[in-house]
Formats: sequence, C-alpha cells, structure tokens
Amino acid sequence: MISDAADNNMVSVAGLSLYYGQGEGRVQALRDVSFAIPRGSTCAIIGPSGSGKSTLLYVLSGLLLDFSGEVLVDGAGVGRGRRQTALILQDYGLLPWKKVWDNATLGLDIRRVPAGEKQSKTASILKELGLWEMRDRYPAQLSGGQRQRIGIARALALDPDLLLMDEPFSSLDALTREALQKQLLHIWLKDRITIVLVTHSIEEAIFLGQKIIVFSAHPGRVVEIVDNPRAGQPDYRKTRDFYEMATRVRELLEH
Amino acid sequence: MIRKSETAKGKLITTVLSVLSLLLIWQLLSEALRLPALPGPIPSFRAFGAEMRNTLGFHLYVSTYRVLASLAISLLLAVPLGMVLGREGKIDRYFAPLIYLIYPIPKIVFLPVLMVLVGLQDLSKITLIVLVVFFQILVTTRDSSRGISGELVNSVLSLGASRLDIYRHVVWPAVIPDVLTSLRIASGTAIAVLFFAETVASQEGLGYYLLDAWSRMAYEDMFAGIIAMGLLGFVIYVGLDYLERRVCLWK
Repeated sequence: MISDAADNNMVSVAGLSLYYGQGEGRVQALRDVSFAIPRGSTCAIIGPSGSGKSTLLYVLSGLLLDFSGEVLVDGAGVGRGRRQTALILQDYGLLPWKKVWDNATLGLDIRRVPAGEKQSKTASILKELGLWEMRDRYPAQLSGGQRQRIGIARALALDPDLLLMDEPFSSLDALTREALQKQLLHIWLKDRITIVLVTHSIEEAIFLGQKIIVFSAHPGRVVEIVDNPRAGQPDYRKTRDFYEMATRVRELLEH
Repeated sequence: MIRKSETAKGKLITTVLSVLSLLLIWQLLSEALRLPALPGPIPSFRAFGAEMRNTLGFHLYVSTYRVLASLAISLLLAVPLGMVLGREGKIDRYFAPLIYLIYPIPKIVFLPVLMVLVGLQDLSKITLIVLVVFFQILVTTRDSSRGISGELVNSVLSLGASRLDIYRHVVWPAVIPDVLTSLRIASGTAIAVLFFAETVASQEGLGYYLLDAWSRMAYEDMFAGIIAMGLLGFVIYVGLDYLERRVCLWK
C-alpha cells in the first residue's frame, strides 16, 4: 500500500518542520506539514504571508535541506540538483545581462547539453511561447508577461517532470495573467508535468490547482487540503462550482 | 542608428566646449594674475609641443605604462578576491578586519620600505600604486558581490549550477559595472600616487619631469607636464567610458 501510494505521488511530504535562524531568534517557518501530490496533477498552495509557502517551495526544489521530516520527490529523498525539478521564483530569476536566448538556454548551458540539442530545443520552446522574435533582446526591454514567459521557457527547456512556481503571475496585469494561466494549462495538458504553485490569489488557486493546500501563518501549518477536480478546465472560471469553491477557500483562509 | 550618431556628435561638441571653456578660464586667470608661475595656455601648449619632441614624450610613456600596469595588476588581484569575499561569509569574516585595518593607512608611507625591497625602478612605484588602488577595487567589488539578490542566485542554483557556475553566470557579470566605476576612481588615485612616487628618488616619469621643471623655474615646461598629466587621465577616462558602453549593453 505504502509503496503503491509513493509510486503514484510525485511529491510526498510527511511531518515536515523547519526553523529559520538560531538560538533566541529561532523562528518556526513550517510545523508538521504533510501532504501528497499525485503525479501529473496540479497543486496550488495558498495562505497568508508568513505561512512559509515560499519556504516550502525551496524545500521541494532541494535548495533548502535543513529540515526535519520526510520529503520525497518521485519516490526519492529530496536533494540538490535533481535534474527534472524546475523552480520559477517570483522575480523569474532572469539574468539582466543575458539576452532572452541566453537566459532560456542557461539551464542547458549549465548542464553542458550539446549545442545541437540545445539549439533545437530552445528554438521550439521560444517559438511556442511567442518569444522567438525577442530572442536578441535583454530582459529589461521586455514586458512583465514576456519576462515571465522567459522564466517558463528556461524551466521547460530542462524537460522537467515537476514544475515549482512561486507566485508566478502576481505582478502581472489581469489580462496578461489570465493569458499566461491559460498558457500554463496548455503546457500542463500537453506534457502532464506535475505543477506546484504558490499563490495568494484565491481565484488563481482554484483555476489552476486540482488540489488546493490552505496554509495558516506563524508557523506555517496545513489548515486543509481541498480537492478541486475541475481545475484545469478552460471554462471553469465561469461556473457556479468555481464561485462555491472560492467561497469555501476564502472561509478556510479567514478561519 | 541616426539618433545614435547624433548623440555621439552631440557628446563630442559638449566635450570640445567644456575643454575650450577650461582653456578660456586658464587664459583669463593668467592674464589677470600675470605671474611667471602661471603661464597662459598658448605658451604652455607651445612648450608642450616642443617638449614632447624632446624628453616629455618619454616621461609620459613611462608614467602611462606604470599607471596602466598597476591598474591591471590591481584588477587581477582585487576582483577575484572581492567576488569571493562577497559570497563566502566565512572567508570574509576573517579578511574584513584586515581590510579595515589596512585600508585607511596612507600607503605612501611604505615607499621607503618598498624602495629597499624592490628597488628604485618601476617595481617600487607600481607596487605602491597597487597597494593603494587594490583596496579601493577590492572593497567595491566585495560590496557589489555581496549585494547580489539571493533570489537570483537561488534561481540559477535551481538549474543545477555549481558554485563555479554561479561565479561565471551571476557574480562576475553582476560586479562588472561596479568594478568599472571603482576603476574610474582608482585611475585618479593611481595618477596622484604615481606623481608622488615619481618625485622621490626618481629620474623618469611625469612626476620627475614636473618637479624638475619646477626646480628650474621653467614654468612653461612645468605646464607642458601638467597638460601631459591631464591628457593621461583623459585618455584613461575615455577608455573606461568606451569599455562601459561595450560591456554594459544590458543596462
């Protein structure tokens, strides 16, 4: 049973606790967090600021290893440098001194992927995301939505099976945000990547997260895990279910 | 493209105008004061032309060589160390007190020691300049390297970057603009220190030339030397400007 469940879960977290700082100033960021995310599904993590959402993402990405509890990614203990895990942080982590093309190939450069493969893969992803014409520009010359897409392109170039996103669309205007949310869904439907995204937007959580994990703050704890099977359906936003779900999540957050 | 060449032209015009106004002030001052120690620009430039054909050209060459060599050595030493100190807190904790102790000491007091250790020639002068300029570049580079956003580093780490990759893709390009700024300040300092070093037990360089002209009360020659020194600084600044525009295209 246990191994079965582990096989179906891309991410499985049990009893995760984490502290920041040492001695007197020690602050608990996460307390006894447990959840599982099935392979190929989407999951939204929502909670007030200070609920350790971003910290959790760092743990899942393998950048933060100083925790207690068990964190499994694809059945193995989380660790640094798992090739198929991609992380997109809030400011997209683009290097301002690299052109769009070089930003998109950065992961492949670092992993010393042969030039031919790098060229063809990056070209097709940039075309798919509508960035091809901008490949010779610097990030500062692009709009917020375009910058976000470079971040996504850079992540997708690595063929991830787990995509972690920290408030990916929070700094974008409403129209760009909805367009990018749809684009993300499209990528998810095509490649069936497991997507975990941290958000503070109830609407975004419901639109994108098949599972919604609601956090409370100080320290970060799981309040409830809500199943939201209709997430990912393009017309979900216009349905009654959507609004009922929004009310439910809002109540959990205000709890 | 048209706009670019227009601004380049505009920049040239303003540069010429500012130089001309400096020369005008100089002319007016020399006419007002009528001191032998302050000849006007015309005789000074005449002397500059004559002296360049004589020995001034050689002295200018020696000084230029010393300044450029010491700036290059300082860069090679200070930039890598600064990048590392900015990123690796453990090493920085060890070095920081050393830097704060040595940085404020006026390094020119070491000139006698240096002259005994490495001789009276180029090496003692270059070493002295490096001692001064090294710290200016080091501190700027370290602070710049330390100020790099942790989120940026984490993003690149998440792509599987090693420590070396971080230096190559993130730290080095991030510190370049600040290094160039510090180099601008350092080049002024370098010329000032060089002047001092060349006036002590020296037979060559602009510092020697200036002091020699002064002691002969050959004020026009002295101003020819001042023009040469200004020219040296000007060329370095223009070079750095050019470098900045080439390297920092993304800004």
